[in-house]
Amino acid sequence: MNHGFLIDNRKCIGCHACSTACKSENEVPLGVNRTWVKYVEKGEFPDTRRYFQVTRCNHCAHPPCVPICPTKAMYQRDDGIVEFDSQICIGCKACMQACPYDAIYIDPDSGTAAKCHFCAHRTDVGLEPACVVVCPVHAIIAGDLDDAGSEISRLLATQEVSVRKPEQNTRPKLFYIEAEQSAILPMAAAQDYGHLWSQPPPAHGNSGGGHRDWRGPIQIAPGRMAGAMVSSGRPAKAADSRKSRAPRETYNAPHRVPWHWQVPAYLVTKAIGAGAFLVAAAGTALGLLPSVPLFTSIASFLALVFVAATVGLLVWDLDRPERFWTILIRPQWRSWLTRGAVILIGFSAVVGLSWVLSISGSVELAGRLRWPGVLLAILSAVYTAFLFAQAEGRDLWQSTLLPWHLFVQAVMAGAATFSIAGLFVGLSPEATRVLSWTLGSSLLVNLLLTAGGEFAVPHASSVAAAAARMITRGRYAPCYWGSLAGGLALPLAAILVSGGSAGALAAAGALSLAGLFAYEWVFVMAPQQIPNS
Amino acid sequence: MTDPVNPLRLPPQETDAGQRMQQYPPPESWDDWVEWDQRQWPRKVPRHYMLVPTVCFNCESACGLLGWVDKETLQVRKFEGNPAHPGSRGRNCAKGPATINQVNDPDRILYPLKRAGGRGEGRWVRVSWEEALADIGGRIRRALQEGRHEEVMYHVGRPGHDGMMEWILPAWGLDGHNSHTNICSAGARAGYAFWMGFDRPSPDHAAANVILLISSHLETGHYFNPHAQRIVEGHMAGAKLIVFDTRLSNTASRADTWIAPWPGSEAAILLAIANHLVTTNRYDRDFVRRWVNWEEYLRQVHPDWPLTFESFETALKSTYAKYTFEFASRESGVEARILRGIAEDVANCGGKLAAHNWRSAAAGNLGGWQVARCLFFLSVLTGSIGVAGGTSANAWDKWVPRPHRMAPHVKRWNELTWPDEYPLSYFEMSFLLPHFLKEGRGKLDVYFSRVYNPMWTNPDGFTWLEVLRDESKIGLHVALTPTWSETAWWADYVLPMGHGSERHDLMSQETHAGQWIAFRQPVRRVALERLGKKVRRTYEANPGQVWEEAEFWVDLSWEIDPDGALGIRQYFESPYRPGERITMDEYFGWMFENSVPGLPEAAAKEGLTPLAYMRRNGAFEIRAGADAEFQRPISAEEAAAARVDEKTGILYTSASASPPTNIVPAPVPVATELGRPIGVMIDGVPQFGFRTPSRKLEFYSSTLAEFGWPELAVPDYVRSHVHPDSVDRGADEFVLLSTYRLPTLIHTRSANAKWLVEISHSNPTWMHTSDAARLGLATGDLLRVRTEIGYFVDKVWVTEGIRPGVIACSHHLGRWRLAEGEGTSRAASALVELKDSDGQWDLRQRKGVAPYKSSDPDTERIWWTDAGVHQNLTFPVQPDPVSGSHCWHQKVKVTRADPQDRYGDIHVDTHRSHEVFKRWLALTRPPKGGWRRPHWMLRPFRPDVEAYRRASSKGPA
Repeated sequence: MNHGFLIDNRKCIGCHACSTACKSENEVPLGVNRTWVKYVEKGEFPDTRRYFQVTRCNHCAHPPCVPICPTKAMYQRDDGIVEFDSQICIGCKACMQACPYDAIYIDPDSGTAAKCHFCAHRTDVGLEPACVVVCPVHAIIAGDLDDAGSEISRLLATQEVSVRKPEQNTRPKLFYIEAEQSAILPMAAAQDYGHLWSQPPPAHGNSGGGHRDWRGPIQIAPGRMAGAMVSSGRPAKAADSRKSRAPRETYNAPHRVPWHWQVPAYLVTKAIGAGAFLVAAAGTALGLLPSVPLFTSIASFLALVFVAATVGLLVWDLDRPERFWTILIRPQWRSWLTRGAVILIGFSAVVGLSWVLSISGSVELAGRLRWPGVLLAILSAVYTAFLFAQAEGRDLWQSTLLPWHLFVQAVMAGAATFSIAGLFVGLSPEATRVLSWTLGSSLLVNLLLTAGGEFAVPHASSVAAAAARMITRGRYAPCYWGSLAGGLALPLAAILVSGGSAGALAAAGALSLAGLFAYEWVFVMAPQQIPNS
Repeated sequence: MTDPVNPLRLPPQETDAGQRMQQYPPPESWDDWVEWDQRQWPRKVPRHYMLVPTVCFNCESACGLLGWVDKETLQVRKFEGNPAHPGSRGRNCAKGPATINQVNDPDRILYPLKRAGGRGEGRWVRVSWEEALADIGGRIRRALQEGRHEEVMYHVGRPGHDGMMEWILPAWGLDGHNSHTNICSAGARAGYAFWMGFDRPSPDHAAANVILLISSHLETGHYFNPHAQRIVEGHMAGAKLIVFDTRLSNTASRADTWIAPWPGSEAAILLAIANHLVTTNRYDRDFVRRWVNWEEYLRQVHPDWPLTFESFETALKSTYAKYTFEFASRESGVEARILRGIAEDVANCGGKLAAHNWRSAAAGNLGGWQVARCLFFLSVLTGSIGVAGGTSANAWDKWVPRPHRMAPHVKRWNELTWPDEYPLSYFEMSFLLPHFLKEGRGKLDVYFSRVYNPMWTNPDGFTWLEVLRDESKIGLHVALTPTWSETAWWADYVLPMGHGSERHDLMSQETHAGQWIAFRQPVRRVALERLGKKVRRTYEANPGQVWEEAEFWVDLSWEIDPDGALGIRQYFESPYRPGERITMDEYFGWMFENSVPGLPEAAAKEGLTPLAYMRRNGAFEIRAGADAEFQRPISAEEAAAARVDEKTGILYTSASASPPTNIVPAPVPVATELGRPIGVMIDGVPQFGFRTPSRKLEFYSSTLAEFGWPELAVPDYVRSHVHPDSVDRGADEFVLLSTYRLPTLIHTRSANAKWLVEISHSNPTWMHTSDAARLGLATGDLLRVRTEIGYFVDKVWVTEGIRPGVIACSHHLGRWRLAEGEGTSRAASALVELKDSDGQWDLRQRKGVAPYKSSDPDTERIWWTDAGVHQNLTFPVQPDPVSGSHCWHQKVKVTRADPQDRYGDIHVDTHRSHEVFKRWLALTRPPKGGWRRPHWMLRPFRPDVEAYRRASSKGPA
């Protein structure tokens, strides 16, 4: 048994019956959708046409939402249905970042992830999903792909079909007969400031409806939509005799941005916590930094405080924070969220113990924790790169440079933190020099990695390209260029010209931390603005 | 609670297309169907349901629904389709499942309300049903006792039932029915009726070779879901799908050929196609020779010509020679090459042309009724009438069971609804009512608005408002409605009536080649009764005290005539228990036992009474397949007893007719001194024929000729009031299409369905890219649209999906309310400020849609702010002088909005609107003869023939 869907666009009339039948069957709240009918129009009058695209979970054979889930709340059943369990879900929204199809949302009632689950509660009693039953024209076919005699298998055997984003290698099991390319490809149609008979959700920053996190039309520059930009290089398929013209999205369901400021903040606190321990432990071990309290007990304390803040931010960002412990009770080990949680817990245990030992005078014992601590600090700093790599829906995050970048950021943040702390506890000239060098060189590497690496290499997908473009030229450009100039170049210059002044070093440290937050905010938010449907 | 029982697992089903899962629980399990609880899934918790069939109450398609009643809570959990329903076949559009939103609507009216302050002040007190019945019933009783019958009026939007009011109103002795037909389908009805007497088509899309739609039948009300199923079925089987629609509808998007003609040019195109069929001799000569009244045509128009079919063919060719593709192209803007292609498709249809025009062009244009008439002309020419894949008359595919007792035709004529000026109207001149009341043509003592919102839906709403608030014109306004509406706000009583799962009604629609009835039921009442609980009145089982009309009318009738002295009560007594009040079981049960062929037998086969069968299945198929009454042979005995008029071939009988068990409205052929017509000789064989004066399809309408329109006696092209020559595009004049529909909404009924409003809540004005560029407008900019009587301010939607020179705005949106917390659904309406000063009306939005707290947590998640713009307020009445249809298209002047304009602003001058009314009224030709209206023609609530005589008449017509 292997369930799949087939949408027959030779029949679909765009009536939205599937959408409301699903809302009814699964009691789906306003503002979120398990299935919806996207509309795209193209052509010039009178050779113009509207296309309908029933859009929902693909029940992928290789579902990226499953390995990223830290608690096995999202899972694949033996019959091929990708199912979720709202009673286990902690609301981390990682599955939403992993889905390249915009299929998952957070249910506002339960605060847990939800999506089309093939009406498994119905199929288990032998009934078709509600959308299949309601469809006036039987354009939605559900059935067993393993059974050659099933209606869906017989159609698949005789009709040419497409799937959404086959290049993601998710192996979708939602097939389309006569898919319209401008509808099946997100952003192949221009988004506009309105729909045919509905508003788009309030644009970013507009609190309409009491929500601040709607994904708006993706504006590259005032009046210019990313969709039009992305589609320009992709000639629309001449599926019929009607002339093709820049296609335009005329209905789509609203979507929210899953992660907010807590995630960039978590990246910063984590960099500080990991970096502080790393710089101090490595510096003192190598004899570059003196074994004064700032680089021993205070360093451990700083690391402990920031790693605790990191965990706090992570929990804060959960929609079900009280279920945080589920990660430990029912871990799903393939998830880098789970692995990360263990790393952070391990790291905080080591730095905590190290701090207790160092303030209770057991310096030697504390010293034995140095290298395990360094290892955990590095892991804490870089594991997010592997988590982001699991977020298959955010192509910009899929960067091979990311682990290195996170490492350098941690070094920078650690050095910056001590630079600022030096103002209060006083630094020896030697320590100031070493910190200047450490901060300066990490800023430089960071600048090279950011400017030269992240955005100079060609992007693997249009999704990544659109996000990069949004960062460098669109809505996020001021923040991005500001972070580079004010958070990297300016502190670097300050270090170079100040000649070792503690005040300048502290200012450079503060600037680099502020810049780091700005940079992480852009890096986390922009890819989430790119539509996957 | 029932013991937890694990669900059965249904086996897969084998279909022609392959194996698939089941769609529905098997009917034998509908009393106790066990399913896993979705809310607790993937924990496997069984949940017990009782499945009760009913009928959707959103559009008129009458699709079947199954109400899933949770046996633990006894609340309706959801609605799915009813697989036993022959029209909808278990499937629904978006509105079917959304019925649950209407049931659980946090803003719905749960108890009878009586006005406490002045009209429209918005102060209400809750009253009991008994109080309301006594007050209203007493008032009607006085009116009837004092002979003021014409002061009692029932005004209905979409009926959503058959036969009910035909039972009630004549029993009260009233000609008091008013409808919404003339703002909707009057044009199409007239066009069809002048051909065949029946006023609606029943296309058999599934078996057609060519499907020609002038309207967007894949998304709109008549009959959206059932028709869409069969149009797509036909299309998949190879039929050509041709769509005329000036804007890009979903239907247009599915077409093989879509054309966007200039509004009003449709008849020119159809006649060019007819001309092509005639000149290339590719029409069904034999069918036309046998079934068209060409002899009458020749006698009347070419009396000197030989009375041969060849003469008629010559006349046909010469009459339509001017309708070339080039002419039609000039009128419509559509390339002649494309029109020729469509004509070729029609010519090749092989007698299987399924064609349909309902509102659209027929409802938009002066002379719009000729569009439907010219479309049916193609059905006639191709011989596609009443055959598989062709087009039938609605009545052949519809069944309205006769109730146990019906009052005789009333001997009254209501001139407020059937004024002298419109002898051929289809039907009541409903939208002119406020103007007639203003003119002093009469007044109303009791006015029922029933699931109807004329102030919002009709053109010229502010004139409605002026009349609705004037107690000297309307004494008592009773709004029967499930939800608040703009109109109900001005009522004296607001009486909550049930949604689709909260009421009894019978419905039958011509959805396809077949015949069926469907039974709407109060789902919770039926469930309670199945569980052995006694329910005296439906409001005991519905939410709050929401009632249903059927029971309300029975009780009100008893209130009007408690002792039977007025002769009214007798019609509302039980056929089984003499002298006792009839129950719903008895009213419907009697019809199922006596008036539905085959139903008692089918029920007996299942060991059920006919009523129990219908309560269980919710629908019954009387016949599958096309059955055209006109071809029915007249039996030898009947023929032998009949007298044949040698000139016309019509058979007459002197035997009186027995009352039909199917009371679907039908024309009444004119009796002569030879008797009552029963058939017609065709090639020497007596056949039933059509119920027209000629007993044939009327290419030539003697009725039109006799009632003042001889120049329109044959299908022709009438220049619309928005003909390109009368629209100065250089001066930024446009044609506004204001009637287009969305697949998700139904006028004023769907505002309280949150899932539907979430999908669609905005009605920007569509404008072609070139026009927008000329006016300097971009999508989202505000524009001001000026009509003859005012203006509205809307956003513009720049699109390639509309003909240049034409703009369009959907009529579903633009709901408003006057009070913050009450009135029209808050999820779908703007809070407005209303100002008036001597006929100068201004409406301005104070606040758009916003989230709010209610019993439904979803209302705090409302994310849209737009409620749309209420354009209809700015339209003057434009009654077609023949069909009586409001001609919806507006000639407008469009500019960028003024700096002080705000989105949604409306301004109207009602003095001006009354002047426009008078100008259109002057186009009419009141009858010169002795009859108010041709007696043979359809007329709902047909009065006695004597009432048809005009007061001033000097003798027979």
